[in-house]
Amino acid sequence: MTDRGTRGEVRLVDARLHLLSRQVLDSDGEPVRTVDDLELAGPDGGEARAGQEAHVSAILVGPALALRLFGGRAPTSRLPHIAWEDVGHLGTAIELTVPSDGLDADWVEHWLRDRLVGRIPGGRRDPEAGS
Amino acid sequence: MRKMLAVALGVLTAIGGFVDIGDLVTNAVVGSRFGMSLVWVVVVGVVGICLFASMAGRVAAVSGRATFEIIRERLGPRAAGANLVASFAINLLTLTAEIGGITLALHLASSVEPRLWIPVAALAVWLVLWRVKFQVLENVAGLMGLLLVGFAVALFLLGPDWGELLRQAVPPSAPGNEHPAAYWYYAVALFGAAMTPYEVFFFSSGAVEERWTSKDLATNRLNVMVGFPLGGLLSVAIAACAAVVLLPAGIEVSSLSQIVLPVAQAGGVLLLAVVIVGIVAATFGAALETALSSGYTMAQYLGWSWGKFRRPARAARFHVTMIVAVLLAVGILMTSVDPIAVTEMSVVFSAVALPLTYVPILVVANDPEYMGEHVNGRVMNALGGVYLLIVVVAAVAAVPLMIATGAGS
Amino acid sequence: MNVGDLLDARVLGPDGAALGVVVDVRLALELRDEPDDGPGDGQDREEEEHDAPLSAHARRDAVGRAVVVGLLVGPRGAGSYHGYERTDVRSPWPIPQLVRRRHRGTYLVRWEDVAAVDAPDDGAGAGGRPGGAWRVRLAPGYTERPPDLPAARQAQQG
Repeated sequence: MTDRGTRGEVRLVDARLHLLSRQVLDSDGEPVRTVDDLELAGPDGGEARAGQEAHVSAILVGPALALRLFGGRAPTSRLPHIAWEDVGHLGTAIELTVPSDGLDADWVEHWLRDRLVGRIPGGRRDPEAGS
Repeated sequence: MRKMLAVALGVLTAIGGFVDIGDLVTNAVVGSRFGMSLVWVVVVGVVGICLFASMAGRVAAVSGRATFEIIRERLGPRAAGANLVASFAINLLTLTAEIGGITLALHLASSVEPRLWIPVAALAVWLVLWRVKFQVLENVAGLMGLLLVGFAVALFLLGPDWGELLRQAVPPSAPGNEHPAAYWYYAVALFGAAMTPYEVFFFSSGAVEERWTSKDLATNRLNVMVGFPLGGLLSVAIAACAAVVLLPAGIEVSSLSQIVLPVAQAGGVLLLAVVIVGIVAATFGAALETALSSGYTMAQYLGWSWGKFRRPARAARFHVTMIVAVLLAVGILMTSVDPIAVTEMSVVFSAVALPLTYVPILVVANDPEYMGEHVNGRVMNALGGVYLLIVVVAAVAAVPLMIATGAGS
Repeated sequence: MNVGDLLDARVLGPDGAALGVVVDVRLALELRDEPDDGPGDGQDREEEEHDAPLSAHARRDAVGRAVVVGLLVGPRGAGSYHGYERTDVRSPWPIPQLVRRRHRGTYLVRWEDVAAVDAPDDGAGAGGRPGGAWRVRLAPGYTERPPDLPAARQAQQG
């Protein structure tokens, strides 16, 4: 884990209150997904264990929502991840330091863009550019 | 002129809430059956929607978060999901009714079989969603919808006994020949229509589309204070026209041509033409509002990128959602159900879902982490609390009243 | 282990007595210095403001690691908390008052005092619902701490 110039201060937050169900924006301010769950990891990046140092390792999106809503379990490694290291700011949204194009968590958007919406005439036209 | 355009968002939002196709019918039915005795509900509804729309607009301007993002964030995935299902269903039913309404209005103007207009109307709605800039869309649909002011003109031309209209309105009481349950059913329906949640979804998302910041709080206030009272005024004018012409004649409203009857009687073909254009524009505007709202709610719940200010390819899931919604609406219309009856019921059902939308708005408008210095003041909170109570009462009463009265009949 | 697994998990004392459920997971976010965002950020920031107007009035922190501090244990199950029970916001009446009353008796248990987190038995649970609830067992000698979140510190302004 890289030390990104922490100033030794911490802000206490509650996961459900401040992180879960918050909007995730990429480095351009584009919405990516909503936080559906958070993955915890131990100090060495391995499995988090009760009572031992643990930290948030990733934001989980997509199927993680269905799991929380309807129960059931899936191997966490198969769920779409956004690494916590990519998080830059926490405000009324969670802002990433990377563009969404590189995130596997956003594959549905990319698929629809390339296969459907981008192919309809005008799909790539900037609506603000005037007509 | 620029001032006028600055309030287009509020006007278009209010048109969708007060004079969309379902409300046109409800207002005329109410006027023809209850005279002016339900005007007080419109007043209560206007104040309520002003209150919550201004909060939602302020939250969007200050925090950058639109209403359904707030709902998901505060209620969590489960309760917000329930709200999403209910809101999406109401949006879809209303969109269906609006597209049906466009075809009815076009039928009135052209006497071409309404069903032939369905694909045309749906395609037109989609093309506007796909290509037209948000500001153009709200200006054209909003301002053209104001042609419905023809109903108010008609009312003056009819030269009614104003004292009698006032006596019907204050103090309010159900006409003797009507059952009180039917009276209260329509009261809940009018209140539900005034406060339909898609108005705040659309208004707050529109604020983000227009990139409001905390500098635009005055614009927010202006939009709310002009738009919704204007919508309420139009809805009262429609009811009053019906109360003056249709009530004494004992005509029960069941079609669009009966609604415009007073206009034709008072102002002839010219005014009728103006009002029909107004109906097409208002209905079209409401179709855009509900179609956009279906995209906004879905995208904001799941955190997708959304908005007309983005290229469609940069908000692919948002645009696909709207395409699916329009297609579903066409599919429902093709089964030849009566779309107007469907929305009227959906408005009553929407009353049940109201608290799930308005509680989170009120709560976040008080959260300093979101709002900084722009948190609600005392008066706002006191009024908000009162309206929450009204909303809950309406929500509880809605379904029993609907069952007891057989949906108002 | 995910945060979602811990939320709503049943909490058992060292002796196996039922104490309540996990209502939230408290984290400590390391705050970073703002200029550390790297070169070229000024341009990004401008563009971001263009796209999504994030007002300076809303709270916004540069954050680093998020470390688990503890679990908030409440007597009652899931539900929406609106954030009231752990902050000092008092309006709009009566929502905060009602939420607080409903969640009276919530306390914080430090993560060090958590002895075990058990996944639900994968076999058919007694409830019939697949999965069932997770279970959290506390270590002997755990302490109940006040659940309050310290009021938002005025780090930037102060």
